Amino acid sequence: MKTAMARPLSAIGSVVLIIGALLPWATFVLNDGPYPDKATLEFFDAPFGLSSFRLYLEILGLAGIVFTFVPVRDKIRVLKSIGWGAAGISVVNLLFIAGDGGGLGAITAADGVPAFGSIVAVVGSAVLLFGAYQLPPEPLTVIDSKLPWWAEWLILLAAFVALLFLITETLTAGGHSGVSDPYIGPLFLSYLSAVGALLGVLHAFGVTEWISDMSERHRVFSIVVLVLCAVAVPFTSVGNDYWMTITANIGVYAATAIGLNIVVGLAGLLDLGYVAFMGIGAFVAANLSGAVAAEFHIQLPFIVAAIASGIVAGVFGAVVGSPTLRVRGDYLAIVTLAFGEIFVRVSQNNIGGLTGGSNAIPNIPDLSLFGAQFNDAPTIGGLQLPGGVLYYFLIVLLVALVMFVFGNLKNSRIGRAWIAIREDEDVARAMGVKTGKLKILAFMTGATLAGLAGAVFAHKLATASYDSFQFNQSVTLLAAVILGGMGTIPGAVLGAALLFVLPEELRQFKDYRLLFFGLALVVIMRFRPQGLIADRHRRAELADEDTTGESLDDTAIKEPVAVAAKEAGA
Amino acid sequence: MTPVLQARDVSMVFGGLAALKNVSLDLDEGKIVGLIGPNGAGKTTFFNCLTGLYTPTTGQVLLKGDPLPGDPAAVTDAGVARTFQNIRLFPSMTVLENVLLGRHVRMKQGPLSSLFHGPAFRRGEAAARDRARELLAFVGLGKVEDELSRNLPYGDQRRLEIARALATDPAVLLLDEPTAGMNPQETEAARQLIFRIRDTGVSVVVIEHDTKFIFTLCDRVSVLVQGELLVEGTPDEVRGDPRVVEAYLGKPPEEVEAELQAVQEGEQS
Amino acid sequence: MATLLQQIVNGLIFGGLIAMVALGYTMVYGIIQLINFAHGEIFMTGAFGGLAVYTWLLPAEAQKIWYVALPAMMVGGAIVSLVVALLMERLAYRPLRNAPRLAPLITALGVSVFLQELTRIVYPGANSAVPFPNVFSAAPVHIGSITIPSSGLLMLVVSVVLSVVLQTYVNRSRMGRAMRATAQDPDTSRLMGINPDRVIVLTFGIGAVLAGIGGVLYGTYINNVDPYIGFQNGLFAFAAAVLGGIGSIRGAVIGAFVIGLIKNIADIYLPGGTAYDYVWIFILLIAVLVFRPQGLFGEVERVRA
Repeated sequence: MKTAMARPLSAIGSVVLIIGALLPWATFVLNDGPYPDKATLEFFDAPFGLSSFRLYLEILGLAGIVFTFVPVRDKIRVLKSIGWGAAGISVVNLLFIAGDGGGLGAITAADGVPAFGSIVAVVGSAVLLFGAYQLPPEPLTVIDSKLPWWAEWLILLAAFVALLFLITETLTAGGHSGVSDPYIGPLFLSYLSAVGALLGVLHAFGVTEWISDMSERHRVFSIVVLVLCAVAVPFTSVGNDYWMTITANIGVYAATAIGLNIVVGLAGLLDLGYVAFMGIGAFVAANLSGAVAAEFHIQLPFIVAAIASGIVAGVFGAVVGSPTLRVRGDYLAIVTLAFGEIFVRVSQNNIGGLTGGSNAIPNIPDLSLFGAQFNDAPTIGGLQLPGGVLYYFLIVLLVALVMFVFGNLKNSRIGRAWIAIREDEDVARAMGVKTGKLKILAFMTGATLAGLAGAVFAHKLATASYDSFQFNQSVTLLAAVILGGMGTIPGAVLGAALLFVLPEELRQFKDYRLLFFGLALVVIMRFRPQGLIADRHRRAELADEDTTGESLDDTAIKEPVAVAAKEAGA
Repeated sequence: MTPVLQARDVSMVFGGLAALKNVSLDLDEGKIVGLIGPNGAGKTTFFNCLTGLYTPTTGQVLLKGDPLPGDPAAVTDAGVARTFQNIRLFPSMTVLENVLLGRHVRMKQGPLSSLFHGPAFRRGEAAARDRARELLAFVGLGKVEDELSRNLPYGDQRRLEIARALATDPAVLLLDEPTAGMNPQETEAARQLIFRIRDTGVSVVVIEHDTKFIFTLCDRVSVLVQGELLVEGTPDEVRGDPRVVEAYLGKPPEEVEAELQAVQEGEQS
Repeated sequence: MATLLQQIVNGLIFGGLIAMVALGYTMVYGIIQLINFAHGEIFMTGAFGGLAVYTWLLPAEAQKIWYVALPAMMVGGAIVSLVVALLMERLAYRPLRNAPRLAPLITALGVSVFLQELTRIVYPGANSAVPFPNVFSAAPVHIGSITIPSSGLLMLVVSVVLSVVLQTYVNRSRMGRAMRATAQDPDTSRLMGINPDRVIVLTFGIGAVLAGIGGVLYGTYINNVDPYIGFQNGLFAFAAAVLGGIGSIRGAVIGAFVIGLIKNIADIYLPGGTAYDYVWIFILLIAVLVFRPQGLFGEVERVRA
């Protein structure tokens, strides 16, 4: 009986959505132009331009109608994804117009022009969603077919190239190279919602799982292609100084987040002072870089300094981890938090002249390789590459290294033991796992990776300051790991990317960054504790829960975004 | 011949309260020993002493003549494996991974080897997988190795726990209520499984409530009451002992007699 | 000698402040074994609540009369803290009652950051430190060469009185008994007809009221507040609760005084002076967690198989 309502509701919702998209959305003119143009619908001449959200809504609406009537498996997930994507777009734009664009007048009928478009679209997506939730839950679709190796390689290649395209388009959605564009926030969020809907539908069809299983089968090939894709980024539309810096920063934090993922995601040890290890690495590298303000006036080759950073950070990791022998769970979290605070205090006070105190250690020399300064814009065979591209490559290398460490350890005797400790420490011990040693090893490995990342970070920024390694950074990293999905590499990368790209794209909301993090932590723990990209194991669990109607699935993807937008608009 | 596992006058005191008083137990190689007793008799405490989770207040536990190490991990390494009364698998690991984890102590790859996945690592990993699959087939879980352990039916979870324990190549296997919550068919399957484990040369200690199960399974049976060893002997001796009937079963003798009669008939048929 | 005495007095005053926050930590942990990271922020919202009452609700004449202004601010601060704490419990923690242990801890972290940022954004001028009126501006008390600021003395007195009241309440009252029963064995006490939700709400509520009052007193003593006062003082309070044995009311109060004394004595007598006093406290915290995790007054947890 409930299910009978699903079809008419989602069909009506989709139609209303399309109508809403076609209606005028605003009656005012903002800064340099109307938002978006009331009369013209630039559908296909500028698909990523100002009125792009209308295009997305039209597509989502049509998809809604099609999938309402065409028999597909797992219809509920398909329609839910479409509905949430549409809701995200309409709410974001509604809030933006109402918030930044002059209040309710802009979305109703000021100046005698009715402009209910956004409201109609919100209603449409709500009806669509309501209809979708009437459907019976289904287990996750699994595509089991295996193809010949060359076909799988081609599919993987296509998937990764599509991913690359998606990423660069996401970065430049609605604006280019960080030019201050007042619309960049809502356009970016609209695009993100649309991409989220697309991925949600693919997920419902089992395509994402299929591809990820495939990449699991061809791990080496996938890694090579992934690295090639990463190397290709500077040659795409984001190949400029601005995005090189941003992506390099994302890379450093992604590498650190993957390191933290070993400690938190695999071994289940909550580390709240993790960024301190990155700081230790940065200060060690700074002191060995020959910077004028450094305590040691020696300049070691970067590779030596980086290894030293990793080792020193690793030793500290072992020291900080050693209470794990006696202290469990929450108390361990406090020990690490206290350590992080001690590190901040001590480096703020310039202990032993090693940290430069509040002056930091500035002017860390730029790296150079074969005479090429890393900050310069090199020219390769007549092709002008953006500045900082060499740092970008270095950081790609760093991320690849960290992924290698994480992936190999996870799929080994040691990784299994870590997961066993996370699941049930007493039983792990009873099965012969030397839990103390392994927990310290987890801390040490994570700290070493953070130390390495810190060394790169110091050179990239050309300065090492205690201020970069405060508690908030630890929280951000933790949020990245949890948001992305504990225990997975793509999760940590996605988490780091979201948490460090969003503030760039949403610069007018930059002030709300931490507010959003805090809220995101709460919302994720409540609705999707396994994160956006769940571990393979946990994924299976989820599919299980979904059939009993427990999980809220896709909501968590869009909800924080929508809520953040709401906060920002308020 | 020295017993493979021997408890000598083990006592355990918690905050002035004696949970165990001078309990002794001998387990000969290739035998099955049962441990029964009413709730709170100290069976699980005794088990924890045998697995190194508790260090006895007085007395000692010998494995093949040597004192048991003080740490559960080392005890497992030395050759004592156990299962848990309330099944404790690693819920979000697959069936195969659970067994592989049991293989942990018998694998030698250190951090560096695990990091670089060299040829030796791959050989070791492949051997462990083979052994794990062999054990899964042995307990009858050959077809579900990629399932999450938490999704298995109850009886299969019990069997998986046994496979995980066997993966440590134990000399002694301790089973804590292996048939709790099972129906008669499953109980019978469990009995056969334990016999087969015994036949591979592993000595077994079983805690159980189900006296019928114990009497038809074990070579020797010990009865614990209020932390003390009441009776020790063959199933027939224990079954016939009036003290057991009174202290453990706590029922009028006639009723118990009838029950025991039923057990004997069940055996014959 | 005079310096030492003065530092001891300052330490006791600071300890009194920390005690009022530490009680919330210890009680919540005692009942649901949650380290409520956001408790420091409850203290902070209390301070801002009191300030808001002073700024917008009190007429100019009333602002000058301390025995009108101060109680009004304390009530205002307590109410704000109470509302925030109860919302937090209901929306963030209660849904996670049966989740794995890491989940509520991370949620607490999120709530903590969220409340800091919300206060910073919402409260006018809270982007930097906001001046807090010195409503209780009686002349400082001089004993020999040492000076006790009147607001500090007030803080100490209020803190000790409230701790004693709380201890008595928990030991004597019916709800107090229910709290202790729930702390010891939630399942059994549920069977005995105790509603655990009510007990938990009450626990959060009491902790919040104490922290809110503490926040207002802190403001009158230090004379400015910012959205981050909760984090640092919350950590000290947590350290105090751990030191005294988390779960123990008396332990938390004594732990708070120990922390206060160490901080103020470290300022003068330990290497590094004021710049390193935090470091010493955190080192002490780590040492206690590692070597005596049950604290000075806590009980050793019995090992269960």
